[in-house]
Amino acid sequence: MSVALYHWEPNANSGKPMLALMEKGVTFDSHYIDMLAFDQHKPEYLAINPQGTIPAMVHNGRVLVESTAIMEYVNEAFAGPALMPDNPLERWRIRWWMKFMDQWLGPSFSMIGWSVFVGPMVRKRDPAELEAAIDRIPLPERRVAWRKAISGQFGEAELAESRRRVAFGIALLEEELGKRDYVGSNAYSLADINIFNSTYSLPLSQPDLAGRDKTPNIMRWLKRVYQREAVKRTWAMGRTDLAHRYSLIMEGID
Amino acid sequence: MAVLYHGEPNGPSLSVLAVLAECGLEDQIETRAINLLAGERHTIPGITEPLARDLGVEGEGPVLVVDGEACQESVFLAQYLDEAAGAGLQPKDAYTHWQMMMWCRRITERCAPAAAFLGNRAYATPVLAAMDDPSFDAITASIASADLRQRWADTRSGAFPETAQADSQVKIADAAALVETQLGDGREWLIGPLTIADFETYGWLVGMVDLMPDAFADRPLAKAWMARMTARPSVQSALARAGTAHPERVWAPGPEINRWG
Repeated sequence: MSVALYHWEPNANSGKPMLALMEKGVTFDSHYIDMLAFDQHKPEYLAINPQGTIPAMVHNGRVLVESTAIMEYVNEAFAGPALMPDNPLERWRIRWWMKFMDQWLGPSFSMIGWSVFVGPMVRKRDPAELEAAIDRIPLPERRVAWRKAISGQFGEAELAESRRRVAFGIALLEEELGKRDYVGSNAYSLADINIFNSTYSLPLSQPDLAGRDKTPNIMRWLKRVYQREAVKRTWAMGRTDLAHRYSLIMEGID
Repeated sequence: MAVLYHGEPNGPSLSVLAVLAECGLEDQIETRAINLLAGERHTIPGITEPLARDLGVEGEGPVLVVDGEACQESVFLAQYLDEAAGAGLQPKDAYTHWQMMMWCRRITERCAPAAAFLGNRAYATPVLAAMDDPSFDAITASIASADLRQRWADTRSGAFPETAQADSQVKIADAAALVETQLGDGREWLIGPLTIADFETYGWLVGMVDLMPDAFADRPLAKAWMARMTARPSVQSALARAGTAHPERVWAPGPEINRWG
């Protein structure tokens, strides 16, 4: 029954199964994959997940990939608190929000994040070493994405569209959290784990769009989720000062 | 009573209509046919919660209205129907369920945008191009999503880049090959037992057979599976709702092609 999770920092896609496992009380072997060092494209990791994407989870000898699908598996395969409601309409709504984040809003967050953070970070490395690392990426679309990120080739129109979607998506989330305590229902669920992992940094990364005065519903929700014991234990697994920086923001939220 | 608004039985409308019948819910959920290419999905009456209709990733798919809330995305509608009816179209085993969801995700993220691209290029563009400006403008004015509105404009103007066309053809051929490989162990259905994955895949691929015959030419297992799907009473019930002779040729702007390439 051993569980091994291959993950990067406890945010975005890696953070989803980490937090789901923590919420369910499932003990797992943590394998830190440094995305910025291209650990995910090295032979030892490709032997686990030939697609070279993170996260990946191994349970009972079976490899599972795709963060949202892994979370759904974790919720169904293990005992512990239910992370999906029983009501079919709420279940539909939670799935809808997760897809909206995974396929519409999330890619815009990551395009901006890669252009301002990942690209500049990895550009400091030796160009030949970078090219070799890109050539090892198994999925062609990921090769395209890495090339764009590393060389700063995101077009202005692409980035403008991403910024439009981020602003629009934040406004929709603010509206949603004005209707219900959590995303899609009045109980904490996989949708909260999914969306929290991609939005907790908004007060820092998008101060013009999100904050105590501009998005009070989001901020109340972020603090409610942030205060969960499972979040604190998950963030303690990170190698950055994320938890400390974030705690300073949350101190100012009622 | 919930109401299912659907287009011609093709693509996501076909898969959801077939699941509705497979779940035995045809008498419990009212169905209303709408003309997706006339923009009628955007003017459905009585919707108090339009978010999913307006921002659905799937584009012009069917809409299930439950207590005023517009529900969309064919896989999730199928799950809703299956769970409401207890029909057993989702594996109970967590790992097999994960396999089904991964399969559906591959179809909705890769195959569906490609099929919508090719289907709209072949069949929707002539319809929209023949539409007068005021009529088209009235449709786009009712569409809340700016990116979906842009896909309507691109479809009307015939803005289908050659690179995207070639990529879409590759993705349809890949999907046909994936089905063929999956059935290689002699199984009858894609995941093992009949599941939502069969209906979702069938809905998006059935219209591609005429458009891309080469993709299916050497795929005997995939073709036999499609024939089994077509023969199912639930699929026949869905196809019987067609208002045209060839519903597989009726398309409307669908999901966007992955912006990351």
